Amino acid sequence: MKRLYNYLPVCVCVLALLTIGELTAAQETTKQDSTRNDVLVTVGYHNVNNQWSYLSVHAKAKLNGKFQSVKGAKFHVYLDKDSAGTLVGDLVTDDKGDAVTTLKPSLKDQWKSGTTHTFIALYDGDAHYNASKTEAVVKEARLKVDTAEGRNIVVSVEELKDGAWTPVKAVEIKVAVKRLQSDMPVSDKESFTTDSTGKITAEFKRDGLPGGDKGLLTLIAKVEDNDTYGNLQVEKTVPWGAVLKPVSNFDERSLWAARFKTPVWLLLMEYFIFFSVWSVLIYLVFQIARIKKAGMPG
Amino acid sequence: MSRGWRKTVPVRYQLLNNNTVEKSIEYANITRDLLPMRFSRWGKVWTAILLAFCAAGAFAWILQLKNGLVVTAMGDYVSWGIYISNFVFFVAISLVGSLITAVLRLANVHWSTPLTRIAEIIAVSAIVFASLIIVVDMGRPERFLNLLLHGRMQSPIIWDVIVISTYFILSLLLLYFPLLPDLKILIRAKETTGPRLNKLYRFLGSFWKGTPEQVRLSEKAINIMCVTIIPVAFCIHTVTSWLFATTYRPGWDSTNFGAYFISGAFLVGAGAVVVAMFVFRKAYHLEKYITELHFDKMGKVLVMLALLYLYFNINEYLVPAFKMRKPEAAHLEDLFAGEYAPMFWFAIFTGMLVPIVILLFKKGRRPLPMFIAGLMVVVGAWFKRYLIVTPTLLHPFLPMQGVAEKFHHYFPSWQEWAITMGSLAGTLLIITFFARIFPIIPIHETIIEQHEKAV
Repeated sequence: MKRLYNYLPVCVCVLALLTIGELTAAQETTKQDSTRNDVLVTVGYHNVNNQWSYLSVHAKAKLNGKFQSVKGAKFHVYLDKDSAGTLVGDLVTDDKGDAVTTLKPSLKDQWKSGTTHTFIALYDGDAHYNASKTEAVVKEARLKVDTAEGRNIVVSVEELKDGAWTPVKAVEIKVAVKRLQSDMPVSDKESFTTDSTGKITAEFKRDGLPGGDKGLLTLIAKVEDNDTYGNLQVEKTVPWGAVLKPVSNFDERSLWAARFKTPVWLLLMEYFIFFSVWSVLIYLVFQIARIKKAGMPG
Repeated sequence: MSRGWRKTVPVRYQLLNNNTVEKSIEYANITRDLLPMRFSRWGKVWTAILLAFCAAGAFAWILQLKNGLVVTAMGDYVSWGIYISNFVFFVAISLVGSLITAVLRLANVHWSTPLTRIAEIIAVSAIVFASLIIVVDMGRPERFLNLLLHGRMQSPIIWDVIVISTYFILSLLLLYFPLLPDLKILIRAKETTGPRLNKLYRFLGSFWKGTPEQVRLSEKAINIMCVTIIPVAFCIHTVTSWLFATTYRPGWDSTNFGAYFISGAFLVGAGAVVVAMFVFRKAYHLEKYITELHFDKMGKVLVMLALLYLYFNINEYLVPAFKMRKPEAAHLEDLFAGEYAPMFWFAIFTGMLVPIVILLFKKGRRPLPMFIAGLMVVVGAWFKRYLIVTPTLLHPFLPMQGVAEKFHHYFPSWQEWAITMGSLAGTLLIITFFARIFPIIPIHETIIEQHEKAV
């Protein structure tokens, strides 16, 4: 018993250390919870040529005072309500924090059931970020592009209201020509706003723009990041470009052509130098024979 | 007295047919001094070392043939490694044949006579191994013929193949023609040279009788060769430089490259001759024939060539360094202060600056300092060629991304080192065997010169 008393301070110390350790661990966990960041999610609706629709999700978070893209965040996106039947898709963000999914044909009935829809993006959260729920509401609308006399472009915006397409005023539209790297505005004016008839008219001022071998240009009208309608885009091909007949020198004689297509001037030069020098060499070898002959008796 | 070929014919005719000259003590002494000698003990050791290096190189090449170019450290980026550096070095050193023999002969310079054969054999042996090292670099030597059968005449590689073959034949002829009168002397010295070598001499030149017609034809041929070899030599170096300069890459995209290569080639060739002069002088006791005057003259030539090459180097590096375009900047920074800086500054100092300082002074143009300076020039030149080839390949215009770390650096594998050392040893071996079989200083021309001096 006396021995036990001797060990008592040691046991108390061990117990105290264990308790402190546990408390510290618990504190750390709480601290970790409290340091998890919020993810800022943007859900975008996109419609191309009034036919193809897709959704985009962008996730970012404020880290060390700066916004940074969140890579590998998993989202469940639903149409109108959070249920298995209305799942648009499960998305994972890429290096830039972006993820994209198309609207599946199975959601057609749900889409047809109303003119205003809500996209719900659910984020489960992880060790670094808190869970979140983001909603985006869009009204069904369409863009139409047409051409008028004198190289004018007429674009109209209509929304679906009571089963009929109704013109919408005060919508900002950009009209551009599609180029390889980006879209080029058709004139110096960056954007146009629809009037009471839901239309805008833009003058095409990009004469002489290369339009391939048929002179075709693709006009593009866009509604971007609209709070009501999302992102709408429509294209139309017009013959307003400059005709370019590509000149191919693929099969011509050139320095970079195949071996049988060496430029004649180069061949002549090479053969001239080659035969000039080698005729001298042959002459020199012939001189050896002459020297040999000159050394023969008689 | 002018020594243009038309004027020398009668003199040589008299000499070659003048029994009193041939029987003179002077003739006997010169012949005795300059006849090829058996290897001494050191000569045998030297030859054995060279043979060992060659054997190691051959073994490494067999391994390369068996396993492919995978045994080398070359890859997607550094596809031209130490083999091509070595090739450029050999091509450069081969230019000396045209410098010492052709340029000085056409300029009527007399003092270079004892050096002509040394220069010619260096040229021949270097060009032989330049050709061989290209075959080694190809990896599949059996495909060499395809280069000729399917090559594009627009490609500088084909031009290089043609011009190297041409230069080799021309150098061989330039070595052979002046050897003919010496062969007559060698055939006569059967007792000294031995029966086996005598057979070889007879095969090569028993027809040489030294008749006026033979002398005339030979002199004419030599003069034609001297005129022809200069543009061909310029071509070989310019075309080799175009292998690089016609490729749009940092460090190679330069209009300066042709002249830069030629000046560098003249320098390293002259450096090699100086080294060979010193070694042969010591080994064969040729102090009477390769005098301090020859070293002094060659020293002046060498310092002039070093200054010329330095000038082209300044052009080559200063102009892009002044503009510092981004891809060029990465390449230049690597050379000046990066991974290759120690080798770069070693090459600049050893290959040019220190030899210039040594050779500017008369005391520096004595045999031993000259030998050291010549050796420095040759060693510096080898590293300079390495620096022309490799760092550029490690700095392509498109960034090297998503590749293994080893692709960012290049250090030759032991097989590459063995083959390179073997090829260098092979070059020296050709020179060594040549000096064993043939007189390294032209006997006949030396006799003529001595006679002319006496007259």
